[in-house]
Amino acid sequence: MKKFFNNIILFGLVALCIGEIVVRLTHVNSDIPYRTIDDMGIQKYYPNQEGYWKGGDHKWMVNSLGWPGELPDNYDNLITIIGDSFIENFMNPNDCHQSAYLKREIPNYNFLEASRSGVTLIESMEISKQTDTLNPIATLIHTGNGDIYESIKEIKSLNDITQLNTKDEVIIHGKMKSPGLKKVLYSWKLLYYLYNRFPLNFKNESIADSKKDKTEKSKFEINETRIRVLLNYIKNNYKIENKIFVFKPNSDDNIINLFKSMGFKTIILDSSKDKSWSFEHDPHWTCYGHERAAAQVSNKLKLSFLNRITVD
Amino acid sequence: MLFNSIDFFLFLPIVFGLYWLIGGKRIKTQNLLIAIASYVFYGWWDWKFLSLILFSSIVDYSIGLWLGKTKKISTRKLLLWISICVNLGFLGFFKYYNFFIDSLIDSFTFFGKELNLSTLNIILPVGISFYTFQTLSYTIDVYNKKLQPTKDFIGFMAFVSFFPQLVAGPIERATNLLPQFSKKRSFDYANAVDGLRQVLWGLFKKIVVADNCAKYANIIFNNHTEYNGSTLLLGAFFFAFQIYGDFSGYSDIAIGISRLFGFNLKRNFAFPYFSRDIAEFWRRWHISLSTWFRDYLYIPLGGSRGGLKMKIRNTFIIFIVSGFWHGANWTFIIWGALNALYFLPLLLTNKNRVNTDLVAQDNFLPSIKEVGQMALTFFITLIAWVFFRADNVLHALSYLQNMFTASLIYKIEIFPSTILLLVLFFIITEWLGRRGEYAIEKIDFMKRPIRWIFYILLIVLMFSFTGEEQQFIYFQF
Repeated sequence: MKKFFNNIILFGLVALCIGEIVVRLTHVNSDIPYRTIDDMGIQKYYPNQEGYWKGGDHKWMVNSLGWPGELPDNYDNLITIIGDSFIENFMNPNDCHQSAYLKREIPNYNFLEASRSGVTLIESMEISKQTDTLNPIATLIHTGNGDIYESIKEIKSLNDITQLNTKDEVIIHGKMKSPGLKKVLYSWKLLYYLYNRFPLNFKNESIADSKKDKTEKSKFEINETRIRVLLNYIKNNYKIENKIFVFKPNSDDNIINLFKSMGFKTIILDSSKDKSWSFEHDPHWTCYGHERAAAQVSNKLKLSFLNRITVD
Repeated sequence: MLFNSIDFFLFLPIVFGLYWLIGGKRIKTQNLLIAIASYVFYGWWDWKFLSLILFSSIVDYSIGLWLGKTKKISTRKLLLWISICVNLGFLGFFKYYNFFIDSLIDSFTFFGKELNLSTLNIILPVGISFYTFQTLSYTIDVYNKKLQPTKDFIGFMAFVSFFPQLVAGPIERATNLLPQFSKKRSFDYANAVDGLRQVLWGLFKKIVVADNCAKYANIIFNNHTEYNGSTLLLGAFFFAFQIYGDFSGYSDIAIGISRLFGFNLKRNFAFPYFSRDIAEFWRRWHISLSTWFRDYLYIPLGGSRGGLKMKIRNTFIIFIVSGFWHGANWTFIIWGALNALYFLPLLLTNKNRVNTDLVAQDNFLPSIKEVGQMALTFFITLIAWVFFRADNVLHALSYLQNMFTASLIYKIEIFPSTILLLVLFFIITEWLGRRGEYAIEKIDFMKRPIRWIFYILLIVLMFSFTGEEQQFIYFQF
């Protein structure tokens, strides 16, 4: 019996080592960049990292400022782009980033992206405090329904992301969720592969979905006052003159109208008359989706903002 | 609980550890642990149907004891019939009730009459066909005095519900398995290692071969009117390997796990696709069911003793009943009848026991004649599999009609080369290992590092090619 268990353990160890090598060589997982929280409470990436996206056909990179993507050649005529995983865009090569497409569309301007998956609108605004130090002429803040609702602590309290307590009008910065475990998981690629392949799902999805369906319809109505507090907070605490809020396709018209009515500059992306912008099994945009989104943004910028005309 | 699930991956080591560490060498504790583990294993799917197994166990245990006490022939016969009626009654109700009602309604409609009968919303208890036959074998063997009735109820419960083979076989005979529950079982290193190896091979067959073939078999069968003949032939080929990988994979896992607990189950598959005629195929495919029908149906019906007519009648009966055992659908009955038809020429010419040895027994490669024989046997089983896989008889006929057209020689429209390479790897491994009980049994001649690399290769392939299908096909039977 002892020999049996010893051999099982030995075989397990050998299998783990070989499995780790195979997983690393074949890039079946995406490499995950390491995060840190800076002095201003912003979660960003350790600078100068790079790794392979799933399948190994392209590499992602984190620049010296700690944001994904390449830095511009210079900071003159700078337009910054802030957003979540759509702008972070690890799933596409660097030349499919918003900054790359916009540079092609409007070559006289330089673009810098500052993004991280999971950022809320309020966190984007906090990030803009940092990017404003580079004196951009404009900042494009990509957002959507989820980013706005998740900004408000009272709607859903999330400890790992930055939110606004609308009652006291206080920003609560996100904390790193299980940093030690994540470090192990991301370093031990085989374990991470198994974790992704066989996710431990303890939630009853059908119940969660049915609840979601029931509440989604009236979500704006329920939370309109809180959203107003959020937008007022943004208006009063950030430099919004050069901020343009870019709404993802299918964003809630009620929210967009509220932004407009409160004097925010907006660009609304529309993919309804186009072929799919997203990957087959992933809601994120493909290179095509990014190209189309950048074309719509640049058209609006050329037509209005860059000609000193108010957008929408 | 599925063998290829995370639940089972956690369940097995716990039961294994408790069995050998706490159970030690005490048979009663070991049997109790097996019975509890088996009920947990089955209850994981639906605990409500545990009562069926328990009831079946109590009935057959009691009848067994009664049969042991009475010598009066009429009472013994009555007891046997009670057992048969109870067991087949459950099976008939859960599995065949709706089929008979539907068929009755269809028959009346055919003659222009309307019958007001309604079907029931019945859930088929997983594995009922398997454990019913297993308990029946006990009563019949006790009745025939081939086996002494057991007085150990826990041991009997463990025998009926033995989790490795509870839901999809092999269908064990009481004469083979039950005595093992009353024998001292101690851990045997070589047996356990061999068992694990067989489990690994079974998982490979299921996860890599069956589930990946299933994906393409489903695409082609579900849209058969859109494909040419050659693609439909490939669809049938995929299904042939799906069902073989699925069912023989389950049997390998069941046998392997049993060995971990010190039990030896009977072999259920013996490389059937290397058969040179249909009789050999049926000696190598689902052996536990074929021999069950042979011993408990064919021989009691007179077997081959009563002249040619009786031989033919009995052959058709066991093939058709065997088909019907698989499911309440005319497709299974036709599948059985078709196999009986294939068997008939061999029976009439007394050539049904020509190929009793292993193909290319002393050679590395088969002769051209053997290749031709194997190809022909495989092809006719492929045709029969179309009925087995089809949703209904019309679906099967339409599939075959579209297959046997001039487009049979056209270019194949779906050609998943990676999956075909995996199937080729599987066939080659099976061919090389055909002298063993299972394909990789004799791998011991390799040095340990090479052996382990081979095992890890199988595991890597399993993770890399985890297909969409996860349920074992034979659970529904």
